[in-house]
Amino acid sequence: MTPTQIKPSLPTLTLNVNGKLHSFMLGEGLHEVSPSHTLAYTLRERLGLTGTKISCDEGACGCCTVLMDGKAVLSCILLTVECGEKEIVTIEGLEDPETGELDPLQQSFIDHTAFQCGFCTPGIIMSAKALLVENPSPTRDEVKEALSGNFCRCISNYHVLDAVIAAARKGGGE
Amino acid sequence: MKNFAHYNARSVAEATHLLAAYEGKAKLNAGGSDLIGVLKDRILPDYPEAVINIKTIPGLNTIEENDGGINIGALTKLVDIINSPLIKKNCPVLKETARTVASPQIRNVATLGGNLCQDTRCWYYRYPDGIGGMIKCFRKGGKTCHAVPGENQYHAIMGAKKCFAVCPSDTAVALTALGAVLTVAGTKGTRTLPVEEFYTPLGNMLALDEMITSVNIPKPDPAAEQAFLKFTLRKPIDFAIVSVASVITLDQGICADARIILGAVAPTPVRAHKAEEYLKGKKLSDDTAAEAAMLATVGANPLSKNIYKLEIVKTLVKRVINSGSCLS
Repeated sequence: MTPTQIKPSLPTLTLNVNGKLHSFMLGEGLHEVSPSHTLAYTLRERLGLTGTKISCDEGACGCCTVLMDGKAVLSCILLTVECGEKEIVTIEGLEDPETGELDPLQQSFIDHTAFQCGFCTPGIIMSAKALLVENPSPTRDEVKEALSGNFCRCISNYHVLDAVIAAARKGGGE
Repeated sequence: MKNFAHYNARSVAEATHLLAAYEGKAKLNAGGSDLIGVLKDRILPDYPEAVINIKTIPGLNTIEENDGGINIGALTKLVDIINSPLIKKNCPVLKETARTVASPQIRNVATLGGNLCQDTRCWYYRYPDGIGGMIKCFRKGGKTCHAVPGENQYHAIMGAKKCFAVCPSDTAVALTALGAVLTVAGTKGTRTLPVEEFYTPLGNMLALDEMITSVNIPKPDPAAEQAFLKFTLRKPIDFAIVSVASVITLDQGICADARIILGAVAPTPVRAHKAEEYLKGKKLSDDTAAEAAMLATVGANPLSKNIYKLEIVKTLVKRVINSGSCLS
């Protein structure tokens, strides 16, 4: 390339995940974050937050769903280096940080046995959480629409619908 | 994913200068829902040396009404288009179209400019390098289109000569129906370009140093009926097999003006000129809709496995004319 005055991204990066700040050096080293790392990779391999699952790894299945500034997004198609100013919440961030009590939505999934193998469950719960934050009393169709980007190969879908509706009735969106 | 240099552009000028400096070896990244997949699968002959984040450019994510119509910044997310009262009131067809794109999570990050500029979904073009090597097809500077003798059920049925991949953008179809005009910025200044003229048989009209900065939609006639229908195999996270957008102005039951655009049938959105001309001055009925639907397929030249798309085109054209409003 020809010389340009424009500088690459800053050499450090601070991520806000589940209310905690994590600082990284940008680079190729073991503890560093490379510009080509996805948020899903960083969450799992750098922060050990393995609740976020990587399945298709190209934005089609919804397993890696996390909240970014309150919206459900796919962490496998986000570059970590572009998430610096954002508030990220993963499945690990839903429990009460002091008592360790599960979010009512998580409890509702347990009460309704809303999973079989469970691999897609964290993504589904995060999509449902985003819905309940925005719309605390959704209709069944609104839940279906909000979860339309999450695939479950065990067909837990019907139990999931019941779990989300029940959590909404109990005020799980708060 | 193979590494690259990463830039956060702070202005359009920075982004376009970086594009120029990298001489085609840099890619702009907005939502990332298309680009990251392209990079992971290494489908391009030249892996980009740099990725330029343009989400950091301020002021390109607004929806505003002005004298010329509705102006939408290129970085406006699809979710914001869906939720915009201004879009709902003036161009419901764009709202309906945006609603059908991908999944809620993708619509939360995907931008209008990115939806227009996304790369084709042709499965030969997209074949991952990691499974037996990238396929060099006509679109990548090769000599053949593998879809012609191969698996072509989702490929073009008209308007294609060398590459038979279809334009995957849904919003391009609605924006063409609305007569929208793009503002394109490069290192030498800005220019405007109708969406209708944006696509070329092998990509789009953007030069190496150019990016879309905004989309201007001339204010549609309030009496015009707008509609968009998309045929897919699955409802969420699927690309159109055929889509049709229409803007039809009726004067006491008589068609005064019609724009009917076909999507996913050709390398570009296709205006069904013959159907549009036929409808003008006619009273809309099942018969005129059927005739217009037939005219929409004139000139089609399907491949070995996609003649079925013609029937879907006819059905969707009939439905957009009959429905008279946005259905999905």
